[in-house]
Amino acid sequence: MTRARWQNLLHDLGACLVVFVFLFPILWWVLASFKPYSAIFVPQPVFVDFAATTANYDVTILGQSRTAQALEQGGQVGGTAGGGSSYYSIPSILDSLVVAVLSTALCLVLATLAAYALSRLRFAGKDHYVFWVLSQRMMPPIAVAIPFFFIFRDLGLRDTHLGLVIAHALVNLPLAVLLMKSFMDDVPKEVDEAAMIDGATRLQSFARVVLPMVRGGLAATAVLCFIFSWTEFLVSLQLTTSIRTIPVKISTFVTSTGTEWGFITALGSAAMVPAFIFILLVQRHLVRGLTLGSMKD
Amino acid sequence: MSVADSARSSAPADLARQPVRRFLARVLVSDHPFPWLFPATAMILAFGIYPLVYSIWLSLHEWNRFTRSFSFVGGEQWAKALTDPRMWHALGVTTTYTVVCLAVELALGLGIALLLDRDRRGYGVLRGLMTLPLVVPPAVTGLMFLLMLDGQFGVLTYYGVMLGILERAQPLLGHTSFALFGVMLADVWQWTPFMVLIFLAGLRALPKDPFEAAAIDGANAFQIFWRLTVPMLGRVAAVAILIRAIDLFRIYDYVYVMTGGGPGTATEVLSFYAGRIFTTGNFSYAATISLITLVVLIVVANLFIRLFRVRF
Amino acid sequence: MGFREHDRKTFIADSCREFTARQITKRDFLKRMALAGVGFSGFAAGMLGGARPFGGLNPLGIRHALAETPADMAAWLQEVSKPYAGTKIRYSTEATPPSIVANQLAQEEFSKLTGIEVEVEIVPLEQVLQKATLDVQGQLGSYDLYYLDQSWMATFSQDTIDPREMYKDKPDLAMPGFDWDDFSKPLVDGISMYQDKMVGVPFDIPIFILMYRKDLLEKHGLAVPTTMDDYMNAARTIHEAENGNGIAGTTGQLKSGHYSLNCDWTAWLWSHGGSIFDQAGYFSGGDAEGIEGLNYMLELVKYMPPAAKTWTWDGEGQSISQGQAAMLISWGEFFPGFDGENSQVVGLMEAAHPPAPKKLRSTADAGFGEIPNIGHQGGSAIALSRYSKNLEAGWIFMQWVCSKDIMARSSILGGGASPMRLSSFSDPRVLEKSKVGPGTTRHFEAVKWTIENAMGSEPDMPAWAEISNNVVPVELGKLLAGQHASGEDCMAAIKAQADELAAPFRAG
Repeated sequence: MTRARWQNLLHDLGACLVVFVFLFPILWWVLASFKPYSAIFVPQPVFVDFAATTANYDVTILGQSRTAQALEQGGQVGGTAGGGSSYYSIPSILDSLVVAVLSTALCLVLATLAAYALSRLRFAGKDHYVFWVLSQRMMPPIAVAIPFFFIFRDLGLRDTHLGLVIAHALVNLPLAVLLMKSFMDDVPKEVDEAAMIDGATRLQSFARVVLPMVRGGLAATAVLCFIFSWTEFLVSLQLTTSIRTIPVKISTFVTSTGTEWGFITALGSAAMVPAFIFILLVQRHLVRGLTLGSMKD
Repeated sequence: MSVADSARSSAPADLARQPVRRFLARVLVSDHPFPWLFPATAMILAFGIYPLVYSIWLSLHEWNRFTRSFSFVGGEQWAKALTDPRMWHALGVTTTYTVVCLAVELALGLGIALLLDRDRRGYGVLRGLMTLPLVVPPAVTGLMFLLMLDGQFGVLTYYGVMLGILERAQPLLGHTSFALFGVMLADVWQWTPFMVLIFLAGLRALPKDPFEAAAIDGANAFQIFWRLTVPMLGRVAAVAILIRAIDLFRIYDYVYVMTGGGPGTATEVLSFYAGRIFTTGNFSYAATISLITLVVLIVVANLFIRLFRVRF
Repeated sequence: MGFREHDRKTFIADSCREFTARQITKRDFLKRMALAGVGFSGFAAGMLGGARPFGGLNPLGIRHALAETPADMAAWLQEVSKPYAGTKIRYSTEATPPSIVANQLAQEEFSKLTGIEVEVEIVPLEQVLQKATLDVQGQLGSYDLYYLDQSWMATFSQDTIDPREMYKDKPDLAMPGFDWDDFSKPLVDGISMYQDKMVGVPFDIPIFILMYRKDLLEKHGLAVPTTMDDYMNAARTIHEAENGNGIAGTTGQLKSGHYSLNCDWTAWLWSHGGSIFDQAGYFSGGDAEGIEGLNYMLELVKYMPPAAKTWTWDGEGQSISQGQAAMLISWGEFFPGFDGENSQVVGLMEAAHPPAPKKLRSTADAGFGEIPNIGHQGGSAIALSRYSKNLEAGWIFMQWVCSKDIMARSSILGGGASPMRLSSFSDPRVLEKSKVGPGTTRHFEAVKWTIENAMGSEPDMPAWAEISNNVVPVELGKLLAGQHASGEDCMAAIKAQADELAAPFRAG
């Protein structure tokens, strides 16, 4: 079905507009990370008319001490003390990255295995099992975070990367199982059966036939698991002291004498980069997605 | 060469060589779900059961400040919670929040997914960019919108005043009736891309034949959408709705950062109320409220599954 | 800033840095400074190389001012910590200036001298409460020390060890020259004491003082307010004149549901002769004086930026430093920030004694040890956890962080956060910073006076944490949002809940 030129143009314009609207808060935020306070705290929004400064990034990313930086700016040191070291955030970014990647991997492995069974095999209590998995997500976050604190502490996993990886994988499991199951359901059972008739075992059928077909679903689920881990706050807060994932680190920028908006915007902006890269890497598979043409050949 | 051929050709040799593989293959070849489900189940049982059991235990006890120990009080906490007007108010706020956000996110999500589901050049980039809001930690999103909705310095307030829908004297988040909208705005902004992602994946999976057939038969775009796209997206949509609704009902971060439950209790959702109580040490009561949240969710989820005959 | 000026400043800064890093000698340094046109008095020059910031120049940074721990302290630390080297102690605290500095100094000095590792979790205040509550409930000993806000003293009193007892019971671990009397008595009473037990050692003391824009007061011919009516008058005058320019008369920390709203309210309550609890332990915020105080607050709200109802103390401080409001009666802790790097009102703010209360209820007439007065204090203490598994190591650290030297240095390095010890107020290093500029200490006089003469303290009662967080600010928030028909209704709503929560703790 061909469309008129102007219809296409309209469509393109609409798409760009929508994406822009959604991107605006992020753009505004990143802009703020380059602004001096005098350009943020003004009644009329400032878009371009300000003296850009990289001061916030110097402290959070490059680890420059606040006092040294203030000297460069003309010799005024901040009222809140603490050298730059307490705002240096690269370790946090690395911590978050490690935990997110590992917990996503763990979660996907467990979830995909379970999802395959739920999708392909028939057994008593299947629906109840699925509901039970889903119900893991139904408690308010605080009611989960606090018992986690006790349990992980007793296991000696508190304030370890492994502990956090397990906790995050656990939190994401219900989501991953459900999503993978629904994606697998879209692959007809006949495909499996065809493979098995040809002599493949179920495991092979799973690994070689079904899995490649749900690549798009795997990508989507991986993205979501990564994101949930990257942005998770309460559980991470309870389970860590020396490891500071990004959301927890940001919460420490709220001091008793003032919120450090400059550093928060800088870290917030910097934190988007790794996560976005991850999405981009996985994006290809997302788009190529499922192809249901296998029955045709 | 068919897929099965390739599978078969490597099968015997591999299996013979690796004992672990052989064991796994044998175990996983059975049609019994156990080995497949075991890892996930074990993990959930190990860590997931404890919060539930602990909360139930807490809800049946009371912390005595003088003896510094818990004493069994049976259903007392439950009676207190079920007759607590603040709890019911929180339930109402949470329900409003969930329903409205869900509706908006669904509609917007589907619309945007349809909009972006094209193979023209650049749309891949647009789709990627669309997922950016998801990457922001909810606490940061809350701060973002706090800054933008600030009565004095907020860019959204500025344009809102220009458009006449907001007034400087009453910043949105300080307004009793509309503060919830401010919080919902943050949620919709952040989670519509989630719906978009799910729907995009679902749209990509739709078989082409029915659509081609319908086009040949002369159906117009709207009919195709309503009669073909929507029902076929049904299953994916159901999962998305379920997951999103559960998360919406448990919302905490945005309220914590943006309004602290205020003004008054206008935005005090159940999780936040429970959180307040946890912080000031009344663990038992907080656990009771949390369990009430759980029960409500279980009941509603069940209803939903039955009503819409969501098949797992 | 002209090219030459910029060069000169860079030159000075570079030279300072090199001197600190001991890359150039003192003589070279002085020569360079002379070149740059910076003069030193003989006294100041003689002080170079010690833990002293430069007169006339800004502090060079933490590293320089740190210099060394005094020799006797270093010796004692090394000696006493021998058996405990290698242990790790941890505690959770709010990001207050002294806490941040203490953390820094702990890493750089304490740990190096003693081999005891200190792990500090810096989180927002509500999280500190949550973590302490958690730890205490399970008697977990996850934290060796607690940072306790004064409003939580009663709640946690049984979970800590009285430091004076510890000092007496373990003489071999006692720091020589600790000097208990050096702690301002009203501070100790107001912050740390509960039923004759010292729960912890006072650590920081944000307290309400009056801070105002002297340029704006001058512009409108107003004298510094000394009575409550004067204050209201000044706020109104400035607001009417300057609101069009985006400057409100005053500001507040009125976020609904947040403890900060509770703090603001009490200042007005107490300064009008009211009190939170009466003698018998019943909520009395709704009596005649209480309503008068409430109305005063509601009137003041008219002269605040509308967003004041959505922010806590950090937004309040920001509103002044961004030039949005003219004066306030609030935490003295803010003051150095007004001269700081992000402020738009450097040098324009002054600190003064808070205005005289209209009427004061005596402590005897108030309940639960409440001390009504306008200078609301929100101090905190460091306390030793009873459940700690590293009691001795924690105790050594606690003494160190509360010692004379550290406290004095904390107050300068902490950007002018006010000290706990009387000796710190008169420490020459502190006095030297008493001028306009970052880290200023020129508000210390007002703080000291207020501590000794006008300090108001919240009730000491185990349920107070709950009431002051979950009940009072929520109902007040409703009032400010127009959800209560009147102030009386609001107070009645609070009374219903507060009386119930306080019931188990009433005497008799």
